Amino acid sequence: MAEVILRQLTKRFGATTAVDDVSLRIPDGELLVLLGPSGCGKSTILRLISGLEDATSGEIAIDGELVNFKDPTERNVAMVFQNYALYPHMSVSKNIAFPLETARMPKPKVRDAVARAAEMLEIGDLLGRLPEQLSGGQRQRVALARAIVRQPLVFLMDEPLSNLDAQLRVQTRLELTALHERLGITTVYVTHDQVEAMTMGRRIAVMQSGRLQQVGAPVDVYRTPATTFVATFMGAPPMNLIDGELRADDGRWQFVREGYSLDVDPAVMGIEPAALQQSAGPVRLGVRPEHLTLAEPAAAGIPGIVQFLEPVGSDLFVSVGVGEHRVQVRMPPDAKAEREDAVRVSFDPARSHIFGSDDRNLRAGLAR
Amino acid sequence: MTAGSAAPERDLTTDGAATERDMTASDDGQADSFELDRAAFEAAGRRRRTSDRVRRIGAYATLSLFVVISVGPALYLISPAFRDSVSLFAYPPEWIPRRPTLENYRFLFRNTEYIRWGVNTAVYATGVTLVSLVTNSLAAYAFARLRFPGRKVLFFLILSTLMIPVAAVLAPTYLTVRTIGGWPLIGDWIDLDTYGGLILPSAVSPLGVFMMKQFIETLPGGLYEAAKLDGASEWRIFRKIVLPLLKPALVVLGIFVFMITWASYLWPLVAATGDDYRVLTVGIQSLNGQFVTNWGVMGAAALLTIVPVTIVFLFFQKWFVQASMAGALKQ
Repeated sequence: MAEVILRQLTKRFGATTAVDDVSLRIPDGELLVLLGPSGCGKSTILRLISGLEDATSGEIAIDGELVNFKDPTERNVAMVFQNYALYPHMSVSKNIAFPLETARMPKPKVRDAVARAAEMLEIGDLLGRLPEQLSGGQRQRVALARAIVRQPLVFLMDEPLSNLDAQLRVQTRLELTALHERLGITTVYVTHDQVEAMTMGRRIAVMQSGRLQQVGAPVDVYRTPATTFVATFMGAPPMNLIDGELRADDGRWQFVREGYSLDVDPAVMGIEPAALQQSAGPVRLGVRPEHLTLAEPAAAGIPGIVQFLEPVGSDLFVSVGVGEHRVQVRMPPDAKAEREDAVRVSFDPARSHIFGSDDRNLRAGLAR
Repeated sequence: MTAGSAAPERDLTTDGAATERDMTASDDGQADSFELDRAAFEAAGRRRRTSDRVRRIGAYATLSLFVVISVGPALYLISPAFRDSVSLFAYPPEWIPRRPTLENYRFLFRNTEYIRWGVNTAVYATGVTLVSLVTNSLAAYAFARLRFPGRKVLFFLILSTLMIPVAAVLAPTYLTVRTIGGWPLIGDWIDLDTYGGLILPSAVSPLGVFMMKQFIETLPGGLYEAAKLDGASEWRIFRKIVLPLLKPALVVLGIFVFMITWASYLWPLVAATGDDYRVLTVGIQSLNGQFVTNWGVMGAAALLTIVPVTIVFLFFQKWFVQASMAGALKQ
């Protein structure tokens, strides 16, 4: 159990910067999810914390102790690898016992610890088998057992569910959450699956190209994405982004595009007037599909033409052509819409966001 | 069989003439066109079968030639090994001995130090095999997994010694071993005319290091990292993780080294001067008299020498196949 602190952490491989000035504090016992597309540097952060890679610059502290120059063997962190990395020539019990035997724990104690870990993960009946005789889900459990058996300070999980089939993934996700609650070990969990991130993390840290984009509770990150990247990476379908211009007209701010204008009330949209002043010019309006609705052509809203209808059972996703954009609108499954219909896409301005030309959300309270 | 039955089907697309005829004939009636097709297909099938047969005969003829070249000399040993020295020079040559005899073997065991040579060879080959497996895999692990300055240069240097023929380093090796032999304590074990002296120069082989390095690099890197995070030292990772997984490669390398050492000639010739540490290859050569050579005894000695190596190979053949499969089925 320990707090993990990353301070201005940077890792370069030759000319490429895999991790770029990342600072992050993970309190004792928290499960933090590092979320991002492949190649965004999230796995590299894990490897830096574990010591498998050396940081180019910056500090890593575990349990109040700087560990930059400690060997991975001395950091007392456990990692669950994407491909589990079970020792293929050892039985399940030998695999789980390996870290304990390495630490020269006496045999009877090892046996007890292995039994306890196996029981916790319900693999007691598999102890005599070899990894090749196990299913993907069972291997995953063995890898977890091997990680928890020596009660590490920190748990590192590198996409532990990505090799499981969809059904098993949902089940294991819940079990992992339960396991974390039971053990209370600080955990850094890497995934590219936003559903996993939303459901598992107390906090999530979204990364892109080695940089931290936003850190926060899943709901906050989803509701108020700090950047256009977060807005489009989180959510399926992603947040709609519509190009336009931010203009002041007699002291009243407006979002303007061809055939449409929206009054931007700083109070309603939660934006500081100063921020509006700074971002005057080209901006993007962002609204999530579930906050959009279709209205009559005469009503207020953005004019567009219905292009596609995608009934998915629980919802009806309507694609509306708005100029060069295709806007996704989530409607109830029984909503009436036809292709080629001329419609208006309307929404509650309080639920919309304006992103400046630097791709940052203008909404107040989003630091960085 | 399969080639014959598959041919007509393939000809549907390849034989342009047949399809063309099929199209013109289809105006008259279905049955007729079907008959025409069938005849064309069968002709094509026959052509295909004939050309297949010709090709196969050619292939077998070539292979047979190579078999004769490579296996012939070995077979040629068997006959004289069971004949007396008189019938050896009979004309026309007597391939299958009329009166087979074990006289050559009796001579070999009674009048020469053949058994001594055999024991020496076994100790020499086994020693080199065991020692070099340990050293090669250790060196290979270092080159494959550890990051240390000069790693690439060192590895290149080791590999480059492959280009140097054994004969070129014979004299320096001889002098080195003789010098070590003059040292206290260690000189008792490693000197000319000792097993240690025979074994030491072959205790590491660049080819072995290279082979093991390649194999270690095919092991998933995650295993190594997992073991590191589990707190294992390099030595423990090598002993408990890498070495067990290397077993098939060790067997293959071991067989190679054993066979090469068993048949090696030059170094044992120089390093062992008397019968005490003489090995089979050198011993057999010493049967070659200045004026008279008993070819029957030579044949018998050579044949006996080949037997153990062949047995070793046959015994471990299963492992050979497994090792090559392990490479093929990498996940």
